[in-house]
Amino acid sequence: MRDVYVLGIGQTVFGKHTDLSVNDLGAAAGLAAVKDAEISPKEFQTAYCGAMHNIPVVGESILRRLGVDRIPIFNVENACASGSSAVHLLYRDIALGACEVGIALGVESLSAYARKFGKGLIGFEEDHEAKLALTMPSFFAMLCNRLMQERGATIEDICYASIKNHKAGISNPYSQYKKEVTVEEIMASPMIADPITVLQCCPQSDGAAAIILCSEDFYKKHNKKENRAPVRVAGSVISVSGAQDSSYDPLALKSLIDGAKAAYEMAGIGPEDLNVVELHDAFSGEELAAYEMLGLCKPGEGVTLARSGAAEMGGRCPVNPSGGLQSMGHPLGASGVRVVADIARQLWGEAGGYQVEGAQVGLAQMLGGVLSNIESPVVAGIQILVK
Amino acid sequence: MNNQIIFYPGTLDEKDGKFIQMGNKCKSCGKTSFPAVELCPFCCSDNGEKVPLSTVGTVFSFSVTRVPVGPYKPPIIGAYIDLPEGTRVFGQLQANEEELKTGMKVKVETGVLWTEKDGTEVLGYYYVPVETKHGGAE
Repeated sequence: MRDVYVLGIGQTVFGKHTDLSVNDLGAAAGLAAVKDAEISPKEFQTAYCGAMHNIPVVGESILRRLGVDRIPIFNVENACASGSSAVHLLYRDIALGACEVGIALGVESLSAYARKFGKGLIGFEEDHEAKLALTMPSFFAMLCNRLMQERGATIEDICYASIKNHKAGISNPYSQYKKEVTVEEIMASPMIADPITVLQCCPQSDGAAAIILCSEDFYKKHNKKENRAPVRVAGSVISVSGAQDSSYDPLALKSLIDGAKAAYEMAGIGPEDLNVVELHDAFSGEELAAYEMLGLCKPGEGVTLARSGAAEMGGRCPVNPSGGLQSMGHPLGASGVRVVADIARQLWGEAGGYQVEGAQVGLAQMLGGVLSNIESPVVAGIQILVK
Repeated sequence: MNNQIIFYPGTLDEKDGKFIQMGNKCKSCGKTSFPAVELCPFCCSDNGEKVPLSTVGTVFSFSVTRVPVGPYKPPIIGAYIDLPEGTRVFGQLQANEEELKTGMKVKVETGVLWTEKDGTEVLGYYYVPVETKHGGAE
């Protein structure tokens, strides 16, 4: 396996962009990454595009606007881990020597989706449990109920990530929201699925993100940012769940636990080495469960870790300093690329108002999909970056 | 009589005028899965038989959705139900909110889940609490 470096990143502001198409959003993020990397898009040898509610050949459709043609381009769907999967496949191509440089895009317009299919909670098409009203909020509401029952989480604990991440998002220029929230405001907002209220849910968002990865040789030849420390993708794992029986506990999702362990092993580090984490906080409560599964604390101690302040700015390992999905927004296919780009930004020391001082090692995580008869969420994507 | 369809093919079989949930019991690994699919989801074996699922189970976890979802009006009580054979099934729970409890015993019933605009009745399964008697002689 060869070392893989981050050459450039780009993204749009996340939010409501009703006047922009998926192509507009993707091209803006792609162009921003190209400018950041200071190379010609003609250098790309391959490209991947993560999107969940896709237009046909979305990657080609976006990249033709940057003059990228006659290379293999692949479109990847893996629910909220679509972007993570695009990054992973590009990483793998370069690590295994199949190419020297490429771009991973993630893009989504939930405004376009809502125009086509209407608003409301999203269930997974063709899934029998979705036809019985199993939705993302109802699944994560059950997870929150488990947290309250098994970990003694209070409503304040369940709201913790929403409060922390909304606060962090204020200093992020790409964030959909720039507003703090209190427990009282969160619990006064409309109830979606007990105990999850609107202000514990990520918003529906439009946006795109892009990352350019390359080999060490290519990096040495083409990196023009002398002041930027080289940042490597040291570990990358896509981990899919197994069949579900009654022994499964969503507080201990094997695919995430094992996927994180595999990524730590690849990177030659442990969770105690992490300085910053960006993760899937689509619903506030799930962040506390993720602390345990990523090994930021012992199993069973996610609530304790939250209460200790270790995951806040200035704490031992800030989680979601960008504002996370709660405040940044969550254009589904884009988020998996965005979290990796955000970790690169942190390690470069270019995160401005939400910079984690001295960050050397960071982890990006996404979870995607809730389906019948399989331990859900279905896909975990984990990337570890090292300076 | 109105036209009737099953909400999702393969989840209910009709036997003697009654609808029942049929799963697959794998003879290789012993696991029962629902609904039956091409191969055992646990071990890929094709050596299985269709069996009726247990009709009584316990609530692993539940949530109450307060907004409409598809044809369903709130409150929508959804729950993962664990069956004695080790199978976990998601279904709606028809119960009073006050009596909802993790670990409560529920039994399956079948009936109309919703009616389409053209009058077609969509059949499916849902769970109801197993009535427990408090006080008094058995």
